[in-house]
Amino acid sequence: MIIDWYTIIFQIINFLVLVFLLRYFLYGPIIRAMDQREQKIVQREEDAAEKKKEAVQQSQAYRRKTEELQEREEEIREKAHIDAEKEKRGMLDQARREVEETRRSWEEAFEREKESFISELRRRIGRQACSIARRCLQDLADSRLESLTWDLFIRKITDLPPEERKSLQKALAAGDYKLVLHSAFEPAEDKLKQLKSSLQQEIIPDPETNLELAVKTDPSLVCGLELAVGGYRVAWSIDSYLEDVEEQVLKDLEHRGRGREAKSGAEYNRASAAHVDNGEEVSGDG
Amino acid sequence: MTINPDEIVFFQWGWFKINSTVFFTWLVIFLLTFGSWLVTRKLSSEGELSRWQNLLEVLINGINDQIREVSQQEPGPYLPFVGTLFIFIAFSNILAIVPGYTPPTSSLSTTAALAICVFIAVPVFGITRQGIVNYLRQYLQPTFFMLPFNLIGELSRTLALAVRLYGNMMSGTIIVAILLTITPLIFPVVMQALGLLTGLIQAYIFAILAMVYIASASKAHAEIEKKGEE
Repeated sequence: MIIDWYTIIFQIINFLVLVFLLRYFLYGPIIRAMDQREQKIVQREEDAAEKKKEAVQQSQAYRRKTEELQEREEEIREKAHIDAEKEKRGMLDQARREVEETRRSWEEAFEREKESFISELRRRIGRQACSIARRCLQDLADSRLESLTWDLFIRKITDLPPEERKSLQKALAAGDYKLVLHSAFEPAEDKLKQLKSSLQQEIIPDPETNLELAVKTDPSLVCGLELAVGGYRVAWSIDSYLEDVEEQVLKDLEHRGRGREAKSGAEYNRASAAHVDNGEEVSGDG
Repeated sequence: MTINPDEIVFFQWGWFKINSTVFFTWLVIFLLTFGSWLVTRKLSSEGELSRWQNLLEVLINGINDQIREVSQQEPGPYLPFVGTLFIFIAFSNILAIVPGYTPPTSSLSTTAALAICVFIAVPVFGITRQGIVNYLRQYLQPTFFMLPFNLIGELSRTLALAVRLYGNMMSGTIIVAILLTITPLIFPVVMQALGLLTGLIQAYIFAILAMVYIASASKAHAEIEKKGEE
């Protein structure tokens, strides 16, 4: 008999036992392990996807930040440009101002120089005019003028005010009655005598006192006479008039010059203000 | 020469006897169980896989894919039965290369026992899937008159299943035995290699057919489900 029912039943039981054993030892664990792995892979993929998403977000954030930085950089550059421009303008203005100041001070110095030169010139011209007048008078001086001068001189001595007279008396007493007469021209004898007599009559209390009169010629005294006793002097000359005139002329010139100076200063100020305006216009264009 | 391994009795005590078929079946069961235990006691679910775990995973994945392809259903409930059929038959046949070993599958009793298991499993899976009424209604399809033919078909395919495997395996063993007497050198080796191939093919055919029968028993239900969804 090919078919053995005993063996068949045995084999059926054997097969069922094997199914049970393999289910317990093989399929269960293997399937479980595979499922777990699958789950882990899925989990890992999800993680990776999330991380990728995060990375994308981060990269976007970085890109945004970079753009912001670039924008800010441009802003800063622009600001720096504006600042530099402002600084440049300021420096230019300052330089311009300094140049202006230097020019102004130079112009002032020049002006001063000019003024002083002009005033010096004025003074010289005044002096020159007076010296011309003096020379004219010297040239014109003759015996008539001489006698007139002597008369005037003697009258001046006789008409001396009392204090003057006293001090002259003192000086004469102190100088042992030695006198020095400075004259622009050689005096005539009679005029000398007349002077002596008028001195003895008018000034010296004692008429017997001997007077020693020394004569010195001095052409710088324009038509003038000068009596010197010790430290006291009595003099009359055209020169003193001329000196007065000169003084008056110089004073006038000076006064007029100052007036002109003030006028020119005002003009100068106006001109410099115009300069500044121009400068501002120029810087405004830059 | 003994054709039937059932007749080779190793141990007998009263009516209880252990013949060659039963003994080698036990050997196969032991090897499979012990091997599985060795591999699956330290499985890793991530990182590197051990070589044996990888092999088993490939094997079980392959079986799952086949079941899915044939039944168009999730392989979960069918895997232990169909998978064990394939693994048991394949392992029994592959061991035929070992001298002194007689494959249990070359005994008609074993193949018949497996066929009977399939014969019982088909209605069990069918009824589990679609209920007893729906399952029994299948035998009346397309008409009441087809009932005897359906029943004959059911029986005949079980018989065919048993005889096909038995014939192939027995013939393989016998051919090698005969060839050994005629040309003892080289040629039997070729035939044995061929035997390995046919052994695997038979295991595959047996398991696939079993799956086809089970699937056809639970397919009607799946079709009803599909229609219901539509």
